[in-house]
Amino acid sequence: MRRKLSHRLILFLSIGYAFLYLPIIILIVYSFNESRLVTVWAGFSTKWYGELLKDQGILDAVWMSLRIAFLTAWVATFLGAIAGQVMARFGRFRFHSGFASTITAPLVMPEVITGLSLLLLFVSMETMIGWPEGRGMLTIWISHVTFATAFVAVIVSSRLREMDISIEEAAMDLGAHPFKVFFVITIPIIMPALISGWLLSFTLSMDSLVITSFVAGPASTTLPMKVFSSVRMGVSPKINAVATFIVLFATVIVVTSSVMTIRQDKKKQREIQAAMKENLGK
Amino acid sequence: MLRHIIGKLALTIAAVFLVNGALTAEEKILHFYNWSDYIAEDTLENFTKETGIKVVYDVFDSNEVLETKLLAGKSGFDIVVPSNSFLARQIKAGVFQKIDKSKLTNYGNLDKALLKVLETNDPGNLYGVPYLWGTTGLGINPAKIKAVLGDDAPMNSWDLVFQEKYISKLKSCGVSFLDAPSDVLPSVLLYLGEDPNSLSTSMYLDKVQPLLMKIRSHVTYYHSSKYINDLANGDICVAIGWSGDVAQAATRADEAENNVEVQYVIPTEGAGLWFDMLAIPADAKNVENAHILINYLMRPDVIAEITNYVWYANANTASFNLVDKEISGDTSIYPDAETKKKLFIFDVMPPKIDRVQNRIMTRIRTGQ
Repeated sequence: MRRKLSHRLILFLSIGYAFLYLPIIILIVYSFNESRLVTVWAGFSTKWYGELLKDQGILDAVWMSLRIAFLTAWVATFLGAIAGQVMARFGRFRFHSGFASTITAPLVMPEVITGLSLLLLFVSMETMIGWPEGRGMLTIWISHVTFATAFVAVIVSSRLREMDISIEEAAMDLGAHPFKVFFVITIPIIMPALISGWLLSFTLSMDSLVITSFVAGPASTTLPMKVFSSVRMGVSPKINAVATFIVLFATVIVVTSSVMTIRQDKKKQREIQAAMKENLGK
Repeated sequence: MLRHIIGKLALTIAAVFLVNGALTAEEKILHFYNWSDYIAEDTLENFTKETGIKVVYDVFDSNEVLETKLLAGKSGFDIVVPSNSFLARQIKAGVFQKIDKSKLTNYGNLDKALLKVLETNDPGNLYGVPYLWGTTGLGINPAKIKAVLGDDAPMNSWDLVFQEKYISKLKSCGVSFLDAPSDVLPSVLLYLGEDPNSLSTSMYLDKVQPLLMKIRSHVTYYHSSKYINDLANGDICVAIGWSGDVAQAATRADEAENNVEVQYVIPTEGAGLWFDMLAIPADAKNVENAHILINYLMRPDVIAEITNYVWYANANTASFNLVDKEISGDTSIYPDAETKKKLFIFDVMPPKIDRVQNRIMTRIRTGQ
């Protein structure tokens, strides 16, 4: 059943979309600007892309950010899923509320405080046990996992609370081991939460500036740090060019993944229909 | 599935450790922590070619970030570039080691007069070597100011922004102030004919604050970098700003060919002087290499290239003739002897004055 949208709704919708997407479009358009000024149009040119490919500093920063974000996303999803499972399924064990609130604390903690405390932790650990030796990619990764895990845990546990627990119980009644239930029943059902948790961690890690600035060491400049430090000497359209690449990259991933989900859904529906026909035929 | 995930995890963790291990095992390396793009494009490349020392260049976005890392200790950097007033405070905190001048054969190239001025922050010039320097003055758009104030506008005076009868009119074409109390307030003191590095709180509360309160409604905004683009676009006509930034606005306006002309002026009353300093943290690992790079950066041809690229003056007398005439002839970047006498250095303030300065700035911004 499709409802026709009224004109007013369409208007509001387009204003909303414009607000979300116009800045990105402007950003992309200005990456093809001839002028060094980010806000004055002076003709079409691809020279900033050439400059970007020559700028090893920015490229290194992008590569560093991507690697950290990728590693963060996997580990945060893994840890967050476990934490979410414990919060939602293990009943009211002792310290339950303490556990739940400590795990979500990084969500509400100002980044400056998280960053500074992690820095102090790493420094004192180095003096006491000699590890981690210096700061760099490793410490940034640990910090990003710390706050990204909190987000994943919240997403996963709320999904688990919505899920019908009787399905799991049915599987156990039929003799499945709890681990088997988790992998065969629970994981497929909470998959959307895991995927969005993964993507969210990736994004959070990609644009974390404050925490990263604190815990970064030599040879670990990430993209946000690079962009912010270039403000003093003036932001150049090279930044727009990088952003365009990232938008492009994100679009490709989102489009392919949604095409894949649609295909799978259709396949599943066909299978269900086929199975129903078979059953009816008997 | 589980085995799969664990396998992946082990791999990634191993990868992270390997990357870290590989970095620490390397020798002939130097960790340089500087502002982004604050060096000529090929300086470090040439240095590596010449000495075989690989330079890892990392960037910070504010003196505060740098300070946090230095104070926390074990930053991992071998050379850092704080501004002079921050350097002064950090020296007191003991985060730097003395520079071994016997290793710096090019030290004699530095400007003796500037070194003397720097002794305010670093007595005996023991801890820091001046890298680049500039002043805090006015960025102006002469055409627009003339359009508003007429031909007899005081273009080269602090009157332009501190005198109500002028700034109230300039409001129509846009005025920006730096969001930096330690830059703006001393300039006001200088304008009032007082000691710009005054240590008396009543001076700030009774003289500076009333003046700024009176003109606050005419200031378009307080920001420390936005004015670069706005000057270049012609969105504002006067800004209290840093010399290199305004020079950059001028170049950009030039490149954009948008008929906007931007100029930097050191007001005739004088202006504040600041330096970015090269310093070696006390716990640096590659001290020897750090000295080699500092010495390299004091070579006239090398530092001249850097000045030509970033448009900030250097403190190297021997390099003056190697700097592009366009820059060395520009008195707003390299002030003449007469102007130089009127420049003062921003001194480090005790916490009490720091607090007063910050409070005044907040009051002016919010109007309360």
